Amino acid sequence: MENSGEILQLESLKIGYASGNYSGTILPALSASVYRGELVAVIGRNGIGKSTLLRTIMNLQPSLGGKVMISGENSAEFTGLKLAQKIGYISTEIVKISHMRVYDLVALGRFPYTNWIGRIDHNAHVIIMEAIIKAGLAHFENRFVSELSDGERQRAMIARVLAQDTDIMIMDEPTAFLDISGKFGIMNLMRQLTASGRTILFSTNDFTIALNRADKIWLMQEDGMTEGAPEDLLMVKAFDHLFDQAVVGFDPEDGSFIFRTELRGEIFIEGESDLRHWTVKALARAGFSVTNVKTIPYIQLPSGNKEWVLFAGGTSQSFRSLYDLVSRLKKII
Amino acid sequence: MRHGIQFPYDPEISHEKMRIGIFLVLGLLLVCFFCLDIFLGSVSIKPSVVFRALFGDADSNVQMIITKFRIPKAITAMLVGIALSLSGLQMQTLFRNPMAGPYVLGVSSGAGLGVALVVLGFSTGLGADNFRSFGNWILVISAWIGAGAVTVLIMFISSRVRDIMTVLIIGIMLASGISAIISILQYFSNETMLKTYVLWTMGSLGNLSAGQLNVLIISVLTGILLSIISIKMLNAFLIGESYARSIGLNIKLSRAVIFSCTSILAGSVTAFCGPIGFIGIAVPHIARNLFKTSDHRILVPGTVVIGAAVMLASDIVSQLPGSETILPVNSITSLIGIPVVIWVILRNKKDQSIF
Repeated sequence: MENSGEILQLESLKIGYASGNYSGTILPALSASVYRGELVAVIGRNGIGKSTLLRTIMNLQPSLGGKVMISGENSAEFTGLKLAQKIGYISTEIVKISHMRVYDLVALGRFPYTNWIGRIDHNAHVIIMEAIIKAGLAHFENRFVSELSDGERQRAMIARVLAQDTDIMIMDEPTAFLDISGKFGIMNLMRQLTASGRTILFSTNDFTIALNRADKIWLMQEDGMTEGAPEDLLMVKAFDHLFDQAVVGFDPEDGSFIFRTELRGEIFIEGESDLRHWTVKALARAGFSVTNVKTIPYIQLPSGNKEWVLFAGGTSQSFRSLYDLVSRLKKII
Repeated sequence: MRHGIQFPYDPEISHEKMRIGIFLVLGLLLVCFFCLDIFLGSVSIKPSVVFRALFGDADSNVQMIITKFRIPKAITAMLVGIALSLSGLQMQTLFRNPMAGPYVLGVSSGAGLGVALVVLGFSTGLGADNFRSFGNWILVISAWIGAGAVTVLIMFISSRVRDIMTVLIIGIMLASGISAIISILQYFSNETMLKTYVLWTMGSLGNLSAGQLNVLIISVLTGILLSIISIKMLNAFLIGESYARSIGLNIKLSRAVIFSCTSILAGSVTAFCGPIGFIGIAVPHIARNLFKTSDHRILVPGTVVIGAAVMLASDIVSQLPGSETILPVNSITSLIGIPVVIWVILRNKKDQSIF
């Protein structure tokens, strides 16, 4: 917390694989930065090099040019041990070893600090137990890692990085294998950790999470890196290139996707109630847009009778569910 | 049920108590097996006479059998068990492959090739010179180099092919290829050297000269020392190379230490006792399941004790107590080891975890 400067900075970093006679950078030189306590999401299409970027920052693969600065120091000059005291790393690789207890896994986070045989003294023990509790795994210390659920295992990996006591955590798709509640649990935990002063850089394919939870986005595209608050990027329509515009669009309101469907027609909705939102959504999915001009047929939102009424010419029909209403509409229009 | 299990306040303490208990039992077992191995043999000698022989108070023949044959053989058995099991443990962790072991991955064969090159290769130049005149150190060092070469090759293959079974099959192919090379060497070598070499391949625990036993003791002690030094590295390797690097492990240095260690351990044993199978795979699994841990601070000493005990037991069984027949010890270790290996394969298929 002592300084609030850039804790991690990419200076014209070139990433990619150099092998044999082929040495190719995937992308132009990347420059971006992270400040202390920020939650930064790296997004971009599959295969653009998100993992490669994170691995390059971790020094797990050599950079092809440029620098990674950590708290103002060039990380290329760090020993492996010094880097391990600055950045913790969680990849997509699943650690599944039977007979390894959560405690043992988390204890590996103390690796850069323990003696030659890896002795866990009282001080280290306290740090390990605190990390386990902070990661939401209290009482799990003696469970076998191989018996944990995906979400619990991810928490154990986070606990390991917490025990490593680094300012920066780098996570490659931390929510990739998780179900909905697991995803939000992990995202909340990441948010809490940044609130307590840690800095997290994570890659994700989940735009909704990235746009709603991250302080800053690093958007990787073929023409380079764009960084900014999610809203900054939304305002300049930075995400529009990411999708096939004909099929999927982006709802700038809440950062969710809209699947474009062929327009069947326009329809008028009469009445104002909290059911309007859901009715519009269901109609939109079926290809109907809502208009302010009265149409034939038109829909009346449920009031006292809890039924949708469809007026067509002189006749009217009532529907108990949106599903029935939309099915009927599809037949007549 | 997932969250329902509660543990005592500081479970580490109860673990520790249990582990000490297991070590005590194993230690006791080791002492028993060692004594049994000395008391039993193809020549039946009364325990009381054995005792007297130990204190130099028996007739010279019995004295000779006990001190020049049975005790060195029991010590050799322990060293072999320790060396193969430790090298198996290290290979399993380093390659993250539960099927790894010096025998199945062809490391023992590599050591054999080293020996063959010395014994058969020099034969053309040195004529009918005696096998022993090469010196035990030349023999054992050539075995280390052979074992080390195969280990590096397997490491290279493992880094390209992630599939455990594929690596295993390639290891078996390597072993076959090496034995083909050895056959060709045999074809070109002279009769005396061929005889020496064939005798060596039959291998046993009881054929070591005092000089060879000394070399074996020094080598295995060096291996144990390197194993202790590599404990922290092995624990880091458990979670895979990327993670190991990310927590600050020097991968190249660690690999060099562990490779030297496995090559010295597996190479020395193969040089003097011939190829002995399946102990290297089986014992680490027994240790993991007995101590219910993946921590090498416990697995390394555990593997040492279990390896020594299992090899002594194999030796006792191979003598078929009460009869004058002696079975090749290799067949006994296979019979002990193979069921463990099959069990590991089946369990591995079931829960997809490593080890």
